[in-house]
Amino acid sequence: MAKEGAKKKRAKDFVTEYTVKNAFTKGDVFTKLSAIVMGLGNFKNAQIGKGILFLLGEIAYIYYMAAYGINALAKLPSLGTHLQEKVWNDSKGVFEYVPGDNSLLILLYGVVTVFVTVFFILLWRAALKSAYKAQYCKENNKHIMTFKEDVATLFDKNLHKTLLTLPMAGIVTFTVMPLVFMISMAFTNFDRDHQVPGNLFDWVGLANFGKVLNIHGEFGKTFWPILGWTVVWAVFATFLNYIFGMVVAIIINNKKVKGKAFWRFCFILSVAVPQFVSLLVVRTMLQDNGAVNTLLHELGILASGTTLPFFKSTIWARVTVIVVNLWVGIPYTILTTTGILQNIPADLYESAKVDGANAFVTFFKITLPYMLFVTAPTLITNFIGNINNFNVIYLLTGGTPATLSYYKGTAGKTDLLVTWLYKLTIDNKDYCYGAVIGIITFILSLVFSLVAYRRTSAYKNEEGFQ
Amino acid sequence: MNNEIMKRRTKYRFIVPVIAAVALLCMFLPFANVNADSGKVTLSMFDLAKAYLSKDDSFAGTLMTSYGGLGVIYVIPFVTLILAIVLPLAFHKKWAYQCDIILGAATVVDVLTIFGSIARMINKTGLVKNEYLVKNLSVGFWLMLVVLVALLAVTLKAIKATWLYILLTVLSVVWVMPILWVVLISFREEPGSYTTTFWPQGFTVANYVKLFTDRSIRDFPRWFGNTFIVAIFSCILSTFYVLSVSYVMSRMRFKMRKPFMNVALILGMFPGFMSMIAIYYILKAIGFTEGALKLVALVLVYSGGSGLGFYVAKGFFDTIPKTIDEAAAIDGATKWNIFTKITLPLSKPILVYTIMTAFIAPWVDFIFAKVICGAENKYYTVAIGLWSMLEKEYIYNYYTRFCAGAVCISIPIAILFLCTQKYYAEGLSGAVKG
Repeated sequence: MAKEGAKKKRAKDFVTEYTVKNAFTKGDVFTKLSAIVMGLGNFKNAQIGKGILFLLGEIAYIYYMAAYGINALAKLPSLGTHLQEKVWNDSKGVFEYVPGDNSLLILLYGVVTVFVTVFFILLWRAALKSAYKAQYCKENNKHIMTFKEDVATLFDKNLHKTLLTLPMAGIVTFTVMPLVFMISMAFTNFDRDHQVPGNLFDWVGLANFGKVLNIHGEFGKTFWPILGWTVVWAVFATFLNYIFGMVVAIIINNKKVKGKAFWRFCFILSVAVPQFVSLLVVRTMLQDNGAVNTLLHELGILASGTTLPFFKSTIWARVTVIVVNLWVGIPYTILTTTGILQNIPADLYESAKVDGANAFVTFFKITLPYMLFVTAPTLITNFIGNINNFNVIYLLTGGTPATLSYYKGTAGKTDLLVTWLYKLTIDNKDYCYGAVIGIITFILSLVFSLVAYRRTSAYKNEEGFQ
Repeated sequence: MNNEIMKRRTKYRFIVPVIAAVALLCMFLPFANVNADSGKVTLSMFDLAKAYLSKDDSFAGTLMTSYGGLGVIYVIPFVTLILAIVLPLAFHKKWAYQCDIILGAATVVDVLTIFGSIARMINKTGLVKNEYLVKNLSVGFWLMLVVLVALLAVTLKAIKATWLYILLTVLSVVWVMPILWVVLISFREEPGSYTTTFWPQGFTVANYVKLFTDRSIRDFPRWFGNTFIVAIFSCILSTFYVLSVSYVMSRMRFKMRKPFMNVALILGMFPGFMSMIAIYYILKAIGFTEGALKLVALVLVYSGGSGLGFYVAKGFFDTIPKTIDEAAAIDGATKWNIFTKITLPLSKPILVYTIMTAFIAPWVDFIFAKVICGAENKYYTVAIGLWSMLEKEYIYNYYTRFCAGAVCISIPIAILFLCTQKYYAEGLSGAVKG
């Protein structure tokens, strides 16, 4: 209830008279005409600079649409109709290729045009609001901002607009737009058989999702096992790292242990080394004739000729990546939990000691619940991070051991959804399926974190350490 | 207090040497069954040591040669154990017991090594095969191990040190080992990724020299330069983006603030490089994937979406009291003034943290660089370059150089990272203290 109230209040804070609706209902003819000729209302009220900017924006948009936009949008529904053709050139005596439509570029330009249009609509709304604001100020004898004053507010009251413009442009261009582009690929048949420019691809609706999710299909037989392994991996990687990392941190924090800085340094060192270096090194160390097997031979623990098949059998490879991930992850846990561990109220431990609790009981009844309470959000982030943990798998095993039971051999037994996505797109050019996998991974992360966050907040309300 | 410690030590003054003496006695018990010229014989540790010292090579002929003539491992336990007996008796000091711990641990490691070496001798099998443990090791070995562990435990107790040290030592070795190994290999003389011996046969600095001078096929200095340029520019852009967004999210209140933060959260859940493939096509469409423009593309990729990573810096800005802003506003400062003249100077730790994180990213990123760089190795970054040295056609000649390169990159990155952690921790403790 209180939350609801707060929400209403927050929305109320930003209520303004200058809305698009008001511009149409209460605006004068100039304001209304601003919807067609942007900036008109500003011109009328002597806001020349602002008006020119709006007008330039409109002209630029119209020019863009006339030159490219319309064309791009028109082709978007069909994604191109002309196939590349081979034509006999009599004078040269060779076949020549006449370029046809390039579905990929059509899709790309289409998406870009949609974004430009969305941006233009925002600008258009701003123009209307601005026109109405100028009119409103004039009618109510309020001060009409000059261009100079407007610019000045950009460094004061409206600083957020100034500061956010470039970062937002970056985010939209390099995160949002590519994502939309990629997501839209999931609804096409842009796979290895429909490569541009030789071929066209087309919209296929939800067919790809059906193919991937159908458990009896060629794809489903790959997807479901990989999904299963991804979840198993994420659970193990997250919780083992968390618990063991905390145990090591507790050991280092132990009163009796001296030289804490030194021990911590030993562990942190492996975090400081770039991950691709340490993982590639560990990979070579674990090969059949790598350092670990060589060492085991030299120590006489392994008979010569036999090796530990770290990356050879499914079980070995899966255990190996989880164990190596412990090597990678435990130092991170030490880094993040050391400080929090020191904050656990000492009296909790003392009373437990009085009650005769041993180290295990104290850990599972006091330390772990407290830490879960404080670090639940980190844990959730880590879990999502592990679902998307590309580096460890790709650099360590590259997905091996390979298997033919997976779709056209595109994935191996240790591949996660993300590494499979990478292989599908970069190595096999099955972009549409890659996009589907990406979307499914996203949904998985989203659902998981929503459920988890809800549970942690419920937990928080139930009992607290505070 | 001091008295108590002395009492405790007195209590253990004789126990420690006695246990060490028992361990010493174990060395005269039957230790292992070894194939000798005269058939199978049962040897004690004493026999093995005697054989080594008298250069008697009758046991399978390999006794002396195992570990490249390091037969001295058969003698070490005698020396260490005798020292372990003598030291606490002679010097009733803490350091004597500390030495005993080290001696005890050394003996355990040594006995385990002998254990392996004998395994190699017998029928050339390893421990894992042929029920070796039961068939070939006698009571002396097992008893010795038990007694040695007891020795360690008692010595630790004598000086009230915790057994956790042993655990931590083992763990530290596991964690530091791969890193030391890279350093070791970077000085190795013989080429190839895999060798038959764990320890390099010869040492050289040629790997480092060649890494920087032999630029014909794998041009490390050039990659280094590329990465440096990319890192500098993307660092400038990212820092600006991150700080702007975090300041706005922390200090300004506007309608789209909450939605923006939610969207940022959701965007973070897409697999990072899912957009990568699309970015590649976008960059390709505007021609940024050819030649030196690849580096521009990398800068854009690294800094482009960086505004989404505003959480840490925002959390820091949140800790700066708003009253400072208000006071400045009363004096007529604009928000821009407050941002640049008050907030930023107060935020040195998080400023350094942001700059360093942004600077490190291009050095350690692998995925994005791989997609953008393609096959033309002139415009590789260090990460891709080093990775390419491990490809099948290069790995034999370049493996040691890969290690040298990895060391060259890792040292500055590690230093930067450790500094970053320092500033991060400082940042967490808040901006204005007291």
